[in-house]
Amino acid sequence: MTVSVAPRPDIQEGTRTGTEEATGSLTAPDIPWNLVIWNDPVNLMSYVSYVFQSYFGYSGTKANKLMMEVHKKGRSIVASGSKEQVERHAVAMHGFGLWATVEKASGGPGGKSGKSGGSGQGKGKRG
Amino acid sequence: MAKAFKYGLKGITGYLEPAERELLRSLIDDVISMLEPEERAGQDPLAALIGLDMDVAAPSDRAVLRLLPDVMKNDDDASLEFRQLTERSLRETKIGALRAAALDLDKDELVLTGDGPRHWSMALNDVRLVLAERLDIRDEEDAGHVHLMQDWSQAEDVESYLALVYNFATWLQESLVQAMLASMETRR
Repeated sequence: MTVSVAPRPDIQEGTRTGTEEATGSLTAPDIPWNLVIWNDPVNLMSYVSYVFQSYFGYSGTKANKLMMEVHKKGRSIVASGSKEQVERHAVAMHGFGLWATVEKASGGPGGKSGKSGGSGQGKGKRG
Repeated sequence: MAKAFKYGLKGITGYLEPAERELLRSLIDDVISMLEPEERAGQDPLAALIGLDMDVAAPSDRAVLRLLPDVMKNDDDASLEFRQLTERSLRETKIGALRAAALDLDKDELVLTGDGPRHWSMALNDVRLVLAERLDIRDEEDAGHVHLMQDWSQAEDVESYLALVYNFATWLQESLVQAMLASMETRR
C-alpha cells in the first residue's frame, strides 16, 4: 500500500555496503532520511495536494495518492534523501503550514512504511 | 457577499466586500503579530542577520507551535537545535506571505498573479491554523461540528463568531486552491 511512495530501491543500494562493515559507526553520511507529513483536521485536502504538486513537482495522481495516505493513515512519507535535503523540505512544508517531521529511514518509527502496524505514536487513527 | 476565486485570462480573480477585507486584514495582522520575533537586548546582530537565533525556545502558545512545529517527534533537543537555525527565517517567510496578501487587500480589484496565489493560500492557511487552535479543533469530528456553523444570525458568542470566520476562511481558501489547481492544469 505504501511502499511505492518513497524512492526506496536506490536508497538501499546506496547504503547497504558502506554501513554494514563500517566499524560500528552510526553516522554514515548517506543514511537516508524520510520526510513525513502528518494528518491534521485543518489543512484542506486540495491544498495538501497542491503543495505536493507545486513544491515536489509530483503529478496530480501521485500528489493525490500521498494526500489520501496522509488523510487515511495519519501520516505518509512523501520524500526521502539526505538529512539536509529532507530538513530543507520540512522547512518548506512548515512554510506552507503542513505538519512535517523528519526521521531516519531505517530503524526509526514507521521506517518500514508502517504496514506492520508500527505507528505507535499515539495519534493512531483519525478520519 | 464574497465571490469564489476563479482562474481566467487575467490570472486568479476574486471579490470581497469591504467588511470582508477588513476582517481578513485584522486576522492577518493578528497572525503577523504572533509571528514577529521579539527583539531581545544583547542579541548578536550578525547572527540575527543570517537567521540564527540561539536563544529560541519551542513556542508556549499552541497556535504558534502549530505554525512553527517541531521538526522531529520525540527528540526535543534536535528540534530545538533545528529551531535555532531555521525558525527565524521560517517566521519571515510566513510574515512575507501574510504581508503580501494584506497588501492585495488594499487594491480595488483582487487579481492574483505571479507569487500572489501562493502567498494568499499560505496566508489563509496560517489564519485558519490559528483560528482552529482557538476553536480547539483537535480532530475531524471537531472540524465537522465547527463546519455546521454557517448562519451569521446565530453568532451569539465569541466561539460561534470564530467558527463562522473560520468557515469563511476555509471556503475562500478552497476556492483559491481550486483556481490554482485549474491554473496548474492548463500550464501542463
